[in-house]
This record gives sequence, structure tokens and C-alpha cells, in this order.
Amino acid sequence: MNREKVVFSFFMIMALTLNFGFFIGEVDNPNHHNAYELFAVIVVNLIATVLKFGDRSQMGAMLLATSLVALVQLFSASIVWAYVVNIQGHEITPDTMAIIISLSGGAMIANFISVILLIIETSMMRH
Amino acid sequence: MSLVTSLIMRQMRIPIIILIMGYSISILGMVIAPGIDDQGNPWQMSFFDAFYFVSYTATTIGFGEIPHTFSNAQRVWALVTVYLTVVAWFYSLGKIISLVQDPMFREALKENQFKQQLARIPDTFILICGFGETGHALAKALTEQNIHTVVIDENNNTIQTLPLEDFSLVIPAYKGDARDPEQLIRAGLQDKKCAAIIAVTASDETNLKIAVTSKLLHPNICVVCRSELEEYESNMFSFGTDFVINPFDTFANIFAMAMHSPALHLLYDWLTGVPNTDLTNPIYVKKGHWIICGYGRFGSDLYKQLLKSNVQVTIIDPSTDKRDAFLSLPENKGNDFIIGTGFDARTLTVAGASEAVGLISGTNNDSNNLSIIMTARELNPDLFIVARHNKKSNEKLFAASHANLIMQPSEIIARKIRTLLVSPLMIAFLNKARNQDPSWANVTISRIMGALGESLPSISTLNVNEKEARALCQVLHLGRVIRVGNLLQDPRQKEIQIAAVPLMLKRKQKLLLMPTNDIAIKSGDQILFCGTPSSLRSMHWSQNDLHSLNYIMTYEDTPDAFVWRKIYQFFKRKERRHRPRKKNHLIK
Repeated sequence: MNREKVVFSFFMIMALTLNFGFFIGEVDNPNHHNAYELFAVIVVNLIATVLKFGDRSQMGAMLLATSLVALVQLFSASIVWAYVVNIQGHEITPDTMAIIISLSGGAMIANFISVILLIIETSMMRH
Repeated sequence: MSLVTSLIMRQMRIPIIILIMGYSISILGMVIAPGIDDQGNPWQMSFFDAFYFVSYTATTIGFGEIPHTFSNAQRVWALVTVYLTVVAWFYSLGKIISLVQDPMFREALKENQFKQQLARIPDTFILICGFGETGHALAKALTEQNIHTVVIDENNNTIQTLPLEDFSLVIPAYKGDARDPEQLIRAGLQDKKCAAIIAVTASDETNLKIAVTSKLLHPNICVVCRSELEEYESNMFSFGTDFVINPFDTFANIFAMAMHSPALHLLYDWLTGVPNTDLTNPIYVKKGHWIICGYGRFGSDLYKQLLKSNVQVTIIDPSTDKRDAFLSLPENKGNDFIIGTGFDARTLTVAGASEAVGLISGTNNDSNNLSIIMTARELNPDLFIVARHNKKSNEKLFAASHANLIMQPSEIIARKIRTLLVSPLMIAFLNKARNQDPSWANVTISRIMGALGESLPSISTLNVNEKEARALCQVLHLGRVIRVGNLLQDPRQKEIQIAAVPLMLKRKQKLLLMPTNDIAIKSGDQILFCGTPSSLRSMHWSQNDLHSLNYIMTYEDTPDAFVWRKIYQFFKRKERRHRPRKKNHLIK
């Protein structure tokens, strides 16, 4: 067992599961989506991205790319949230919630691809 | 991704993750911690506020308790935030700094820089192995001719001080052992742009290894080697090394040239010297009794040359083995061999220094050589002295010794290789010149001096082909006749001759020395010119610019642009139409 691989897979799958947890629920209902969960998704995704730094293989490059895509999507979602609440200064509305959720949905696809790539890589390894 | 970025990224993983963790724990805590706003209502920070607070706290900027004064619970967590994030930052910064100082990282950085410099070379380059005195002189000469060079040397100091020196082109330098094929490849041996490799390290064995490696790994490139021992020389030639240069052999030939014909030697000195330095004076080697101090590789080579001109020679050397070897030579006609060192007046007097015409101080020790020169000068101030100069650092001493001919191995090799690589036709020219009678060299010298004046000429080879002389080729295809003399006209004012002299014309395999002005140029010719740098530039102009060439050929300024050309043709036609017709048929 390779500890580096365990940590790596842990964060990748964690990113996907948390992302899914935030995404699930009615798309425009603010009560179904928790800000803490979005925070957790962003942190775990950041760590998963950093873990892919410096890998020179083709698979490593693909994994880094998907993580970066997920990050861009999640950052946009959080910026939308912060803009509405802190700059415009009113409660989150159903239509802004819909924007945030659709952005996080995109991030989830990227995270999903990451996990699939991870599974492919694992299954290609022969012991 | 390059090795360097990948290395940084890999090393930065842990510090960045620690930073992320520190930030996220702090932010989360600040959001959860209960607080009170201005009106006394319970209040919690939003993620935005928390991120703002942690950002200015972690970077030790510290704006204060924003947006409302903190509750005690928030202050407790602010304490945790301060220690957590500030420590995380210090740790990360420390990691980055230690990474920058890591020798492996620096090595990778240097290699990366070398690769980039190599990639930036636009056309071809010459790989110089060994950056000692010879390598240095060569790099200087080649870069001045706009030829790119790359250097590999195993001495770290030379590589590090190289960028501080003033070369006219950037010389990528690689620190490595040239004997190792892997490192030679990394230095650019298999690069498509590598046109030649020059092995001029101090050891013959290394040079041999470099030559073998290059011939096996990149068979098409030209390999030039320095060799001082005969067995290595023949070994190098055996597998097709293009040029092997032996400094002693080369100098012996130069010496023979000086003895045989001072004018030819002067011509050689001018045409192979560093351009733009002052013209040297001719050397007159007298015939008579010669003394050779030191019968090593240098002394024995010169002895052979002296034998050819039938002069009496006395040899001084401390080794008895060498005397036995000398006495067993069949061709020496009663020449003496004295056991001794040569730097004491007694030995020199016994050898006949007071009546001799020349003395060669050829030991491999510079102090001994200088001592011999000074002692001999005292005995006989009129002696013609040939000095062997071993170490570059003694240059000033040898210049002050006023020896008539100084042999400096690295200078001789650099000169020969420079001529080989910059103007290959020059070698053919000098070989052919050697077979001419002495008066020919005198005439040539006076012609060069008349045309060029006081400084050493630059050498340029004109290849009459589409690439190097575009205009010339176009005009030749039209069937017009261009003579050598036309090229010597100034493209700015056709009546003026530029300061250049054609030395040789090569047509197929035929060589013609000093082509006269009326010879018509053909496509495919090669012409060797010497001249001042500015005159060679203006010659280049008339070879490549149709306009200038037309001006020289027709003595008319033809318009170049489309519209002007049409107008010009129109007027020409009109002029022709109005010209009264010659009624030739009526006169008949």
C-alpha cells in the first residue's frame, strides 16, 4: 500500500462527495444548500489540486487540469455568493442560488472525471 | 513542464497544503465563533468577513477587529488564527528559501538556462571542448566573426567567470566532463545546429575520446582536435577526424616558411592574424650556425626543418638518452649535441653562441627559456631568437624579452582552427602560395598594403550562389557579364575602388591565385577576398542588392518601385521612338 496514493485518492473522492452533497437539493432553494459545505468543497478541492503539482506524467497533467476546472467553477460560485450578500447587501435569492448551484454542478462533473481517471489509472496498474 | 518547474511544484506541495489548512481552519473558526454587533444583537461573521480578517492577520498587516468589535469567543479564535497562520507562512517561506539554496535545484536551474541559451542560437554553432587558453582565444575569434560557440569545461570557475567576460555573442557554457558521452550530448553534440566540434583540452587522451564520441554519435559534423603526441595524432586520423592540429608541427612549418621566404611568412601572418590589429613587420631568418636548447618535441621538430636548409646546428639538452637517440639519426651531418641546460653562459659559449646566428630556446619551462634568452643575448646581442612560450600568464615577460619569433601553442592552435573554420579557402591559398617564387609574395604584400593601409585585413569568402549573392546570381542568369573588377567598385560611387583585394578564385576544382580584374565571374565560383571590414560590407551590398549592382554595371540609377519603373520604361520607349533612325542600309 502506498500512503501517498491513499491520501491522494482520499482528497479526490472527498472533493467529489462534498461537491455532490452541496449540489443535491432543489436548485433555487437556499435552504437546501449550506455555505459551510461550499467552504469545505473549496478547501478539499484546493488540497487535491496542490497534491497534483509536479507530476510529469500524462495522467498527472489530466488530473491537474480537471482539478483546476473544478476550482475555477467553485471560485466563481463563491464569488457570486459573496457579491450578492456582502456587496449588494441582501439575502440570497432563489435565482442567485440557481447560478451558484449550476456552477457547482459543473465543478462536480470535473471532479467526477477526476475520480474516473483515478479509477482507470488504478485498474491499469498490475500487481 | 520543465524539470525546474516540476521540481519546485513537487517541493511546494506540503507548504501550500499547510497554508491552505491553516487558512481554512482559521476561517471556519471565525465564522462559527459567536459575536455581538453594534446594537447588541447576536452576530456571526460571514465567510467573506472571515476570509478578510484571516488574510490581513496571517500576513501580519493587522487592520483590527472588523466589522464589529470582537466578542471574547472571537478573540480566543483570533489568537489561534494568529499563531496558526503566521507559523504556516514562516514555514512556507523557509521552505521556498531553502529550495532556492538547494544545490540540486541550482544545478537544474543552470541546466535549464543553458538549454534556453542553446535554443536561442539562430543558425549553427561550434562546440568547444575545453575552455583553457586555446578555447578562450578561439571563442573570442569565432564570436567576433559572428559564429556562435558553445563551451563545455569541467572547471567550475571557468564556467562561472565566462559570462563576466566581454564576448560579442552569448556563449552558453556547460559544466561537465567532455569524456562522458552523456554530458557531451547534453552540451549539444547531437543538436541539429551543431556544425563542428573542437577538442582543445590539455590532455591528448581526452581529445581522442571526444573525437571518437563525436564521430560515432554525430558522424556528419566536422571534428577538429588538438594533439601534441604523434601516436594520438595517427589514432585520431584513423577514424576520420577531419583536422588534427599539432602545435609543434604547425610552428615548425611556420618557422620553415620564415626561413625559406620572409615575405611568404609575412603574408601568412597577415592573412591569418586577428583582423584590425596593426600590421606586423617581416622577419628575416639568417642562415648560419644555430643553437637549439631543449631537444624535446619542439626542438626536434625545428631541428628537422633546419636540416632541410643545410645549416650547422648545435643542440643543448641535459638528457643522455636523447643524445643517444640524436646520434643514431642517420641524417645529421656532424652536428653537435652538448649535455647541459643552456641557461649558463659556459655551455652557451661552448656551443658557440658568440658566432651563431640563431638560437632556439625550446624547453618546456618558461623560466628556463627566459633565462636562456637573456644569457644568450648578453653573449651575442645580434642573435635571432626563437622562444617557446608555454604559459599564457608569462605573456608580458616574453614580449619584454624581444625574442624574434615566439611560439605560443594555444595561440598557434587558435589561429589555425580559426582559419580552418572561418575561411577554409585560405588554407588552399596558403598552400598554393608556398609553391610560388619569393618575388610573388613580395608583389602580393605590396598590393595588399597599397590597398588596405595599416591594419591587418579581414578575410571574406564570396560564394556565388542564390543564398549568399542573390543579386549577382540573378544578373548572371540574365546572361550579363560581371568581372571581378566590378565587385571592387564602390556601390556608392562607382569610380572609387574599395579597399579589398581578391586573393583566389576557385572554379570547380581549379584554383587561380590573385585573379585579375577582367576575369568574368560564373555561377558557382568561390572567391577569397581580403579587405577592410567596411569595404567587405559594401562589397556584400553590391552582391546582394540588385539596385547597387545595376548601378555598378550600367552606371545608371534604375528606379526600383513598380510605378517609377513603368514611367521610366515609358520615357525610354519614347526616347527610342524619337531617335532618328540610322539608315545603315542606305549607306551600304
